[in-house]
Amino acid sequence: MSASLAVPSNVLPSVRFRRRMALLVVCCASVAAFLIYLKVDPIEFFRDFHFVSDLIKQMMPPDLRLLWVKHGLWTSLLQTVAMAFFGTLIGSIIAVILALFAAGNTSPSWALRLGVRTLLAVERSTPNIVVLLVLLIAVGIGPFAATLSLCIGTVGMFGKLFADAIEQVDPLPGEALIAAGASRLQVIRYATLPQVAPSVVANVFYAFDVNLRLAVALGIFGGGGIGFELHLAQSVLRYKDMLACVILILVLINVMERIADALRRRLFLQEV
Amino acid sequence: MTWSEFSFERYRRYLPAAAIFIVAVAASAYLSEVSLTDLRRGILKGLSLLTLFFPPDWSACKDMLQPALVTLVICLVATPIGAAFSIVFGLAAARNIAPEWLRLTARTVIAVERGLPEIVILLVLVAAFGLGPFAGVMALAIGSIGMLGKLLADAIEEIDPRVLDAVAAVGATPWQVIRHAVLPEVLPALVANSIFRFEVNVRASVLLGAVGAGGIGYELDAAINQLEYSRATMAVLMILLLVFLSERASDWVRSKVL
Repeated sequence: MSASLAVPSNVLPSVRFRRRMALLVVCCASVAAFLIYLKVDPIEFFRDFHFVSDLIKQMMPPDLRLLWVKHGLWTSLLQTVAMAFFGTLIGSIIAVILALFAAGNTSPSWALRLGVRTLLAVERSTPNIVVLLVLLIAVGIGPFAATLSLCIGTVGMFGKLFADAIEQVDPLPGEALIAAGASRLQVIRYATLPQVAPSVVANVFYAFDVNLRLAVALGIFGGGGIGFELHLAQSVLRYKDMLACVILILVLINVMERIADALRRRLFLQEV
Repeated sequence: MTWSEFSFERYRRYLPAAAIFIVAVAASAYLSEVSLTDLRRGILKGLSLLTLFFPPDWSACKDMLQPALVTLVICLVATPIGAAFSIVFGLAAARNIAPEWLRLTARTVIAVERGLPEIVILLVLVAAFGLGPFAGVMALAIGSIGMLGKLLADAIEEIDPRVLDAVAAVGATPWQVIRHAVLPEVLPALVANSIFRFEVNVRASVLLGAVGAGGIGYELDAAINQLEYSRATMAVLMILLLVFLSERASDWVRSKVL
């Protein structure tokens, strides 16, 4: 049976198949070359798996007593949430204001528009860590620097998005308001903002989700919060505490996601 | 509308929500130690520091090229590895492919990977394997599995069951169903998501580098710690260039492939 089904040797594989195989081989070869360049051996992960199992042995059981033994821990959990919340809030407000200047239909002048657009583009491509490292020097180590850098990151992430949303609003309501004698600010308040509000609110919730994770990450660099506790536990080799921190971070992110979901559902149900 | 027309009654029902909101804002401002004096001082200090940051130390450009390349290569390796493993996890987490117990396990693993920021994964891996690009590659690959695996599993679950039934009806084994019905449906989406993930990874790897995965992030952190600010500016410029180029490159690949 298998013999009769076998492909005759004089039939060449199709051009598409050959092209795909060539692409696959090139991809695999370049990944292998890159691994050699980095001197990284993926097999090492399995050969040196005893490191992982040693670590797990040292980590078990997670020292969750920390929650009531160590008083600062609740504060640092709340601090992480606070950093993300405050950064998202202020960042979104600034983003909306800048977006009004950056959108073609609401901006007072094209020069301002170009300037704000450039600023947003630069902020968008600067990784948060760069902003944080600079801010740590300027305002000093602590959660405030991380909060500020989350603000700036949020502005960069969503300023352009909001500006594009504002440019896509239906111009007719605004023209009707102008015809009725409304001022420029009144047009923005009663015609532009109501149209972009749903997308802005949805994006703010998304921003909070992103910023919460970033708040953990930035905490590691001296921004405070649970990230800093994790880093501390790791650098003094208290792996039981470290696992407890990891579990707390997981729980925190999950709980905040649930809360944000519930809030979002309420908000959108009310509006519709 | 003038102020005389303003009525308190109209806004009354928003009062509780507004009160909660204001308390939340105040509490979070207190907890994150927001202070306007710090901000003002910080801006003044930042302005005086600007002279230290500029002009960038162009002579350091040569030293930065190699770390930038390392960062880029870390992402180029981690993204395909993550994508390859996400196929396994995606299949295992799809309702229409995997049995229930496997699906629940895979979904849990993916949820944990997605929930943890890469840097937390990195810190755990550093504790096991020590500093270096190896931990960085693994952390980024695991993070990529979290996102790509979830998207892939959702995409597989949305495949029209008639397509799978049709292939199975002509006598295909489960592997043949996967090979000839499932993968062709979801691979284009996987490629598009992987390209997007590559961009995310480039940004993340700068952060990971500063913790000890090596590359340009480490150079930046080291320069700032050694107070060589003009060198740090050069590293920042290099990072911006790297992010910009990776965005351009992934746009180009996307337009070619899709």
